[in-house]
Amino acid sequence: MKTPILAALSAFATIAALPGTSHAQDLIGRNRVGLPDAPNTLTFRLTSYDLYSSDPSTKEAFERLFSEFISERPDWKIETQLQTGNIGQEQARLLQQTQAGRGPDCAMIDSSQLALFKETGVLRPMNAVFSEEDVADLFPFVRDAVTNEAGDVLAWWWFTDLRVLYRDTTLVPDAPQTWAEVEAAALAVAEEGREGILINGGRWEGTAFDWLANFWAQGGRLVDEDGAPIFAEGENREKFLAAIRYYEGLVDSGAAPARITSITDYDAFTAAAAASSAAMFVGGNWQYGQLRTTLPEDRFADWAVSELPGPTADQRATGTGGWSIAALSDDPEKAALCGEIAKEIYAGPGNAAQGLLPTSASIYTEYDAYDGPEFELFAEALENGVARPGAAIYPEISNQIQILLGNVLSGTQEPEEALDAAAAAVESAYARQ
Amino acid sequence: MTAARALRERPPGQGQPWPWLLPAVAVLALFYAIPVLDVVRLAFSDATLIAPATGLSLDAMRAILGDPALRKVLATTAIFVAVNVVALQLAGLSIALLIVRGERRGLKGMAAFRTLVLAAWVVPGIANGLIWGLLFDEAPYGTLNSLLGYAGLGPVAWLSDPRMALVSAVIANLWQGTAFSMIVFYAARRGIPPVLYEVAELDAAGPWRTFRSITLPLMRRAIAVNSVLVSVQTLNTFDSILALTGGGPGRATEVLALFTFNTVFYNLDLAGGAVLALLLFAAGMTLTLLIGWIGRDRGAS
Repeated sequence: MKTPILAALSAFATIAALPGTSHAQDLIGRNRVGLPDAPNTLTFRLTSYDLYSSDPSTKEAFERLFSEFISERPDWKIETQLQTGNIGQEQARLLQQTQAGRGPDCAMIDSSQLALFKETGVLRPMNAVFSEEDVADLFPFVRDAVTNEAGDVLAWWWFTDLRVLYRDTTLVPDAPQTWAEVEAAALAVAEEGREGILINGGRWEGTAFDWLANFWAQGGRLVDEDGAPIFAEGENREKFLAAIRYYEGLVDSGAAPARITSITDYDAFTAAAAASSAAMFVGGNWQYGQLRTTLPEDRFADWAVSELPGPTADQRATGTGGWSIAALSDDPEKAALCGEIAKEIYAGPGNAAQGLLPTSASIYTEYDAYDGPEFELFAEALENGVARPGAAIYPEISNQIQILLGNVLSGTQEPEEALDAAAAAVESAYARQ
Repeated sequence: MTAARALRERPPGQGQPWPWLLPAVAVLALFYAIPVLDVVRLAFSDATLIAPATGLSLDAMRAILGDPALRKVLATTAIFVAVNVVALQLAGLSIALLIVRGERRGLKGMAAFRTLVLAAWVVPGIANGLIWGLLFDEAPYGTLNSLLGYAGLGPVAWLSDPRMALVSAVIANLWQGTAFSMIVFYAARRGIPPVLYEVAELDAAGPWRTFRSITLPLMRRAIAVNSVLVSVQTLNTFDSILALTGGGPGRATEVLALFTFNTVFYNLDLAGGAVLALLLFAAGMTLTLLIGWIGRDRGAS
């Protein structure tokens, strides 16, 4: 009788001693990291894509990273607050709460909203954590976004993403380099009964953001140095119209199906690739991994990525997004801890765990996760990366671009008329900000 | 002692209502009136989501009411609400009468049928939008278009055609809202004394005559109440449209509630959003008063 009891006890002791199992679970709760009775508390508002991810492997990796982090800081616990997927609303609420003194100590801020947070002065420097070398290693567009004129590090943009052109090489063997080549290749496929190219055209941020690459590739600018809208003025107007006409031409010619005005998520492209119903699509870099896990190996081998085409082969741009982590607390200790979370958990190990694109060049060589040929292409394309302008008017510009494209692509308005209406609406909104 | 006895002995209808009403009035004032007053204050301010109000002004009112997009949004809202209110009443009434008839005949599965209809009602608006988004998917493998294809019909541009997108948004709202109308009408129909139908049967009245002379007049109050409730509900609908079309293509399905949401969270325009919220409030109140007036009791005759 004693033997089974002893065996059970020793088994329990062995399991309890295993690193990263029961101990990690003790330290990670639904809204807490660390021991409940730790004397110091940091509140951290995060997205649901990592520590609380629905993907078990991602969740496990971040639980391990957070457990290691907090084990080295036994005097601290992190109270976690989850953001919903409604980014605009969540970020607006975060800003309001912070301005009212009710915000968290540390938070994830969408890269498109970072400038707004900087402008309102709610971000606290994390200079104690990040060295000049760390900052110098960032991609230029990231460096500009996270620092102010005094050189303070006000946030850490820990991963980025970009848009690329995906193609089924059995249908489109060579990567189109220009808009004209895209239309020709897509039309050739469409004439055989498949969808030539799919792009976001519905009423959501992805539509404006993906399309903007075509405007930026020509050197177009949405706002001036003061954040005032200038996209409908002078040369910008011509560039803007040229980019609209490119999309309009794709739909009018049949190269892209009319249904693109109802596409409001990137998953539609993955589904089309899985169903072999489309030859090309403009998607995010993260979809490469999704295609790998969705398609059978031999079908996945048929798909390739290339830089987004431009009006000419040497005019390229791609929109870059991603998330940053910033300190909102006046307490220097908490600001430093926030920076350490960004540096030790997310930038580097967190990137590699999820296959997200790092914002520092050195991380690409540091982790094996970035050995694939696609990452060479992504890193190359990032050289032409353009971040959304850090102006409070950007969300409304994006809103108007979504409306404008919907109207033009569904044949409700001509490009000039649609642009004039969008410009008037943005001007009116800007005057009220 | 005497006063207490007098209070106890006060006949019904002559008591003091205020002690009983006060808690309800206090709760309503705290949770409804004060926020509404704050919205009025914001509507006459220059508040944005990133900066507090600096003073009183009519700028927000002028800018929002002069916005060329508002006319289109109001027209879309009027169509969306009008079609939905009529269709919701018809569908709810039909199903309620069907269930009552089925129950009277002792058909099995009526409770299950009622539960099935109710299931749609408990689905959150966002989920409703996502579900119908999948059904309306216009991809070659989209659900509804594939079914139509088997019958040699379609494909239909459910969400990409501006006019059809509004029809699709109405269908999605109908699917979810019918259950509520059904409950209201089912309860009202069950409240009609069966003896009236027995008399009608003795008088050899046909189904249409019975419906016109008994069911409809005795359900008039329920129809008026339901009209008010579904009108206000439909007017406030934005979550299912947000998930289904986001208001697009263009502004084809952007109703007033969604426009308000966009004004606050895209424009960061809190004052403008407050003006639109007041407009929404005024529209809801007007509809309520109008329906109340149309459905008023015109006397015993």
